Amino acid sequence: MEKREKMIEIKDVSMRFNLGIDKGFSLKQGFVNLFNAKMRKKHKEEKKKNEFWALSGVDFTIDKGEVVGLIGSNGAGKSTLLKVVAGVMKPTKGRVFAYGNICPMIELGAGFDPQLTARENIYLNGAVMGYTKEFIDSKFDEIVEFSELREFLDVPVQNFSSGMVARLAFSIATIVEPEILIVDEILSVGDLAFQAKSEEKMMQMINGGTTVLYVSHSLESIKKLCSKVIWLEKGKVLKVGKKEVCDEYYKSIIDKQE
Amino acid sequence: MNVINNIKYSIHKYKFLLAQLVSRDFKVKYKRSVLGIVWSLLYPILTMSVMALVFTNMFNMRTPGVNYLVYLMSGLVMFNYFSEASNLAMSSVVANFSLINKVYMPKYIFPLSKCLFVGINFLLTLIPLYALIFITGTGINIYHLLLPYAFLCLFMFTLGFGFILATVSVFLRDMFYIYGVVLTLWTYLTPIMYDFATLAISPKLQVIFKLNPLYWFIKFARDIILYHQAPGLNVWIYSFICGFGFLVIGAAIFKKNQDKFIYYV
Repeated sequence: MEKREKMIEIKDVSMRFNLGIDKGFSLKQGFVNLFNAKMRKKHKEEKKKNEFWALSGVDFTIDKGEVVGLIGSNGAGKSTLLKVVAGVMKPTKGRVFAYGNICPMIELGAGFDPQLTARENIYLNGAVMGYTKEFIDSKFDEIVEFSELREFLDVPVQNFSSGMVARLAFSIATIVEPEILIVDEILSVGDLAFQAKSEEKMMQMINGGTTVLYVSHSLESIKKLCSKVIWLEKGKVLKVGKKEVCDEYYKSIIDKQE
Repeated sequence: MNVINNIKYSIHKYKFLLAQLVSRDFKVKYKRSVLGIVWSLLYPILTMSVMALVFTNMFNMRTPGVNYLVYLMSGLVMFNYFSEASNLAMSSVVANFSLINKVYMPKYIFPLSKCLFVGINFLLTLIPLYALIFITGTGINIYHLLLPYAFLCLFMFTLGFGFILATVSVFLRDMFYIYGVVLTLWTYLTPIMYDFATLAISPKLQVIFKLNPLYWFIKFARDIILYHQAPGLNVWIYSFICGFGFLVIGAAIFKKNQDKFIYYV
C-alpha cells in the first residue's frame, strides 16, 4: 500500500471573535474603569460574554489526495476553518501546517477592480493569487478560452454581469495546479453550461491528485466529490467519516424540523 | 541579517503584485479624464500659481535673494508628495479589507504600493519644477546630483509615517478626520510659502519648526536648488535620522499589529 503523506495538519485550533460593538476601545469606558473597580469587573465580564468561539479545539489531519467535505449549519465555523488553513487568519490557539502550495477559492474575484478591463484584471487578480507574470503570460489564452469572454476582454469589469465576473474569476483561480485546493461553495457559478464545465474542471483537478478542502451546503455534490466528510457544529468537529455522515446530517435536520 | 534576507525574499516574491497594484492605481486615476497623465504635470503648476498669486499679492511675501516661484514650488512638490502619499497609505489597509479577508498576502504591500504610486507621480512633478528653474534663470549646478538623497529620506519618512497611520486607522476610524486637520496644521507649520528666517518669530517657536522632519528634507533640496550649495552635515544627518528612524518605528508598529487587523473589519 502506498504510504500516506500528510498534507494539512490542524492541531487543536481555536478561533475567537469579539462580538461587541465597541471593539475594545472606548475612551469613556477606559476613564470610568480607571476609577471604579466594580465597573472594571463588569466590563470584563461583558467582554467575555461578547466573545464568540468560531472554532474550538478542531483537530484533524488530511492526507495527500484526499477530498474533504465540510458540512454543518450556518455559523458552524466552516468558512473560518478554511480561512485559517489558507493563512488569512491566524488561529487564537493551536497551529495549522500545510505542506504544499495552496490555492484559496474562498471568494472569487476578490482582487478585481471594477474600473479595469478583463484583460487588466486577469493580471491584477493573478498577482493577488500569487502567480508570476511569466505564468500568466503563458496561461493567458487558456484563461480567456475557459471563461469564454474573449470578445469582452477590453471591457471594464463593472459592465459585466455577475455571472460573467464569476466565470472570469473561476477561470483565473483554477488555472494553477495547486497541491491544496480550498473551495468555498463556488461550483454554482455562471449558467448551467458553465456550471457543468466548472464541475468537470474540479473533477479533473481532484483526479490529478490535488488535496481538496471543500465547503458546500449541497450534500449532493459533497457525496459525489468527497472521500471524507467532516461535520462541524458550533465550532467543534461532531463527526468524521465517509459519505454516511451526510445522511446523518440530513437526518438530524429533518428530526429538528419535526 | 535574517531580517534583511526576509525582506529581500518577500520583495522578490511580491514584486509582481506590487507592480500590479501600482499600475492599477495609475490606470484608475486617469481612466476617465481627457487630459490623463498631463494632469500630473498641470496640477502642481496650477496650485503653485494660485498660491503665488495669493501670497505675493495679498501677503506681500518675499524671499530675498532667490526666486519666490522656485522657492514655493520646491517646497510644494515635496510637501504634496508627503500629504498625498501618507493620506492614501492611511486608508490603504481599510480600503483593501475585502482582499485581506480572503487571500493571504503581506499587508505592508498596501501602504508601500501607495507610497510608490505617489512617488512616480512625484517624479513627474519634477518636470514642471525643473522647467521653472530654467525659465526663471535660477539655473542648475553639480549638487543637483545629491537631490535623490533628500527624496529617499522623504520617501522613507512618508512610508514609516504611513505605516503608523494605517495601523491606527484600522483600530480608530476617526483617524481619517483627525489626520485631515493635522495635515492642514502641518501645511502651515512647514515653510512652504514663507521663509521663516524672514519672519519675526521667537527662538522657542523656531525649535518647533525644526522638529518637523519635512523641514529638513525641504531645506536639503532648497540649499541645492536655490542657494547653489551643498547642504551642511547636520542637514544630512537630521534627514537620515528622520527618514530611516520613522521607517523602522512605523514598520515595527505595523508588523506588531497586523495580525489583529482582521478582527476590525
